[in-house]
Amino acid sequence: MPFMIGPAPIRRTLKFLEAGRLALKEQIKIFAVHYNLHDDNNKGAKEFVFWYLPQIQYKNPDVQIATFKNLTPSPFIRCFYESGHEMLIDIDNKSKDEIYEHLIRVVGKTKEVLEAESISKEKKDNPANFGVGCDRHCICEIPGQIPCPGVVPLPMHMRGKYKYKKDV
Amino acid sequence: MALQTTTKASLLLGRCVPCLKQNASKFKVKKLELDTNLLMYFGKEEYIYAFDPQKLCKTGDIVLIEELPKKMTRLITHAVKKVVYPLGDITDPMSGKKVVAGKYRDYIEAVNKVYGEKRGAFKYDEAPPRGWQEGKRDFTHRETYIKYHESGEEDPYAV
Repeated sequence: MPFMIGPAPIRRTLKFLEAGRLALKEQIKIFAVHYNLHDDNNKGAKEFVFWYLPQIQYKNPDVQIATFKNLTPSPFIRCFYESGHEMLIDIDNKSKDEIYEHLIRVVGKTKEVLEAESISKEKKDNPANFGVGCDRHCICEIPGQIPCPGVVPLPMHMRGKYKYKKDV
Repeated sequence: MALQTTTKASLLLGRCVPCLKQNASKFKVKKLELDTNLLMYFGKEEYIYAFDPQKLCKTGDIVLIEELPKKMTRLITHAVKKVVYPLGDITDPMSGKKVVAGKYRDYIEAVNKVYGEKRGAFKYDEAPPRGWQEGKRDFTHRETYIKYHESGEEDPYAV
C-alpha cells in the first residue's frame, strides 16, 4: 500500500472502497449525517463516518454526502429523496455496524436489484456487441464481414433487384 | 465519476452566502471529490445561484435547492425549495424542539432559571425575526471587501 499515512490508511485502498455494501436507492440525492464530537452517545456515529463514509460515496458518486457537526443534541441521518420526501434515521447510542446494517436494510438497494444491475452492466461491456451505444455501429465494420454496401456494391447474387427480376 | 466538470445534481444542500442579485441567492455547495492518487475524498465547494424572489434565505442558512428544468439566466440554474436549518433557529427534526448548538433550548432555560437569569440575556421567544439589525449592526447580508484606499466616506462593508 503506497503512501499509506494517516489514521487507518486501509480506508484508502481500492479493495476497501470496492467492498462497500451500501448502494443507496436511486431516488436518494442527499445523505446528511448529523453528529456531535464530544458525547458518548455519538461514538457509533463518529466511527460510522470514519469507516463507512468513503465507501458510501464511492458506491454512490452522484449522491451529495454532507456532515453536520454539533448542530443537535442527538445524532441522526437525514436522506432527501428526489420526490421531496425525507427519511430520518436515529443513530443515538448505536454502534457503527448496527447503523450500517440498518441503512442497508432501509435505504440500500436489495441484493436482487444489485445482481440484476451487474448482469445488465456486463452485457453493455461486451466488446463483441455492435449497434447503438457501442464502438462499432454496423456489422459491416466488423472484420470478416461483408464490406459496407454503400462503399463497395454487393455481388449480383446477393442483390434483390437481380435475384427477383423477371425477364421482360 | 466526473472529475474536472461539475455535474449539477437535481437536488442539493447548500449554505447561503451573501449575494447582490435581486431575485436570487448564492449558495455554497460542498461535495466530496475522490483524489485518484491518494484515494481519499476531499471537500470541493461550488457556488450556485438559486431563484429566490422573496429572499427567504439569509446568510448562513442551510437550504435545499433543486435544479430548474430550464435555466432562468446564464447563472441562475436552481430554485430554492426549502430552508432546512435557518441560522440560529435550528429545530431538531427527531424531537421537534428548538436547539442551540447541541442543547435543547428548554433545558438551557431551566438551568438559567435555577442559576438566575441575567438582565441583558438573549430571550429567544421575545426576539424579533432575523434581519432587523441589517445595515445598522448586521453586515452579513452583503459581501465585504478589503479597503486599500481611504477615500473619506464611511463604508461598513469595507474591512
